[in-house]
Amino acid sequence: MGVIALDRLEVRLGGRTVLNGLTGELRGRAIGLLGPNGAGKSTLINTLLGFHEPSAGGAKVLGLDVRTDRMRIRESVGYMPENDSFIGNMNGVRFVRYMAELAGLPPAAALERAHEALFYVGLGEVRYRKIRTYSLGMKQLIKLAQALAHGPKLLILDEPTNGLDPMARQRMVQLIKEVRKEGSMHMLISSHLLRDIDETCDEVLILNKGRIAAISNIEEERRSHRNFIEMEMTGSTEAFAEKMRALGCECASFAGGRVKVVMPDALSARDLYVTAAETGVEIRRIQQRRDSLEDIFLRAMEYEGGRVEHVSLPA
Amino acid sequence: MSVFLHDYRPYDGVTTSLWRRPLVLARYGMAEAWGSKITTILFIAALLPCVVELVMIYLADNPVARMLVLRGSPVLVINESFFVNVLETQCWFALVLAAWIAPRLVSFDLGDNALPILLSHPISRFGYVLGKFIALAWSLSYVTWMPVLVLLVYQCYASPEPWAMAHLGLAFGIVVGSLLWIVVLALIGLAVSSWVKWRVIATGAMFAVVFVPAGVGGITDAILRTHWGLLLNVPVVMTEIWRRLLGAPPLMSPQLELPNTAMAVVLLLAGLACIAVLNARIRAREVVRG
Repeated sequence: MGVIALDRLEVRLGGRTVLNGLTGELRGRAIGLLGPNGAGKSTLINTLLGFHEPSAGGAKVLGLDVRTDRMRIRESVGYMPENDSFIGNMNGVRFVRYMAELAGLPPAAALERAHEALFYVGLGEVRYRKIRTYSLGMKQLIKLAQALAHGPKLLILDEPTNGLDPMARQRMVQLIKEVRKEGSMHMLISSHLLRDIDETCDEVLILNKGRIAAISNIEEERRSHRNFIEMEMTGSTEAFAEKMRALGCECASFAGGRVKVVMPDALSARDLYVTAAETGVEIRRIQQRRDSLEDIFLRAMEYEGGRVEHVSLPA
Repeated sequence: MSVFLHDYRPYDGVTTSLWRRPLVLARYGMAEAWGSKITTILFIAALLPCVVELVMIYLADNPVARMLVLRGSPVLVINESFFVNVLETQCWFALVLAAWIAPRLVSFDLGDNALPILLSHPISRFGYVLGKFIALAWSLSYVTWMPVLVLLVYQCYASPEPWAMAHLGLAFGIVVGSLLWIVVLALIGLAVSSWVKWRVIATGAMFAVVFVPAGVGGITDAILRTHWGLLLNVPVVMTEIWRRLLGAPPLMSPQLELPNTAMAVVLLLAGLACIAVLNARIRAREVVRG
């Protein structure tokens, strides 16, 4: 069962088609939702939560239909909205307890979990202060605390690092990583920041103009690019490429002495130098490809066709 | 998750049933409403007339006290009209209390944009409004039918004559009349508070919603030489309803009398208008058209 399954999902709001025929299944532990502003990320989240009714098609969250099982979905989900959303004249404990009780926890359990959640996100010392006195970073954290307090199966975070300074951002990313590592819940993280998604997610759904531009498994991409090396050389690159292929590498040479190599795990960078020496070529530049998500995103944004594309990098 | 370990643990305990979620909202709403000193002051002020009326009932029913204080005057009679006056007084205090409490219940949520987070939990928009409605209605009950019923019970107990059996219908009238007013006030209060995010303005707007149409109705009557404008006068309509429910003499002359159906339709339309406003305003997300 996928965490989120989209079946020709279309959402029209105010006479505009905001989401257009989204189809796909997401199974990752931490799913990133990427896209430029206005791509439909928040609308998709709102639709999954039942705030917007699909105008055509459908979607399932944890196997539950967004049209018919709205309440059961909300019971299983913890949601951290993008914008400020809290009750300013309540203190931290009371607010988180209130949200936990609304999620279905009995009052005593809700109180206990509220304290725990606030300590967990790092607001233990300020939990009796009114929320309106919190800083922006604290407000983000209390939204996370209330989303975690009832122990959801799916945590939806809408732009969790929005407006945070570098330290607070790092703290938020660290928390997300910890929750992911704990392993009891799935996460859907919406962001327009590639770095946040790259650091926290193992699967990514990229939206562009209300359509799916790409669905990609970042973990697999990372694995496949772990040994992907780009080089610039002088001399006969053909001979070098032949020799590398003989060692079990995938290798392609291009004009200008550029060579791309995907090495098996058994080989290391030293083998490149050895082979270069043997074939009489000089390595002028060597670069290991790391930032696969950026490639995926850029390729998805360039793609105008609008059909689902499982993006992978050229080898 | 643990306070001292600072780690996350999933929740595997019991959960409450869905129908209890509006009661959570009602409980927190009550706490919010009664967390203000002004609410307490208004509540005490609303009960002061009841103390006076309690003394009046005592005087009316105690021949010795009547002899000593009223010098045997038969002015003080405890009957349907007396209880209509009591109910009227309490119901107008309820308006003041509603104008103070209703904005505290809704405006804070709207002002802080709390609806997306509240409605992301397993509670519907109807459940949200119902929870707030219960909190407001219960708060207003403290100053309307509850104290008036206590006075009625005391009168039944203190009356030397077989008064109780002949006036049992008063209890029904008091409860139904109060509940009708509470429903009207709660709907108006929640609708106005959801429309106006600023609490002070919402409080003022509530009085305006009750009294401005009365003025418009008066002008209509004067211009068109009719009495149907009285239907816009909520105080008159409600007083007439209370009088009829409690069996007291009518407020107006027979030629100005308003039919029950017309009054019911006016209240129904007012209620529907409030529900329409709530339906438009109580949403997790606003959709911008165009």
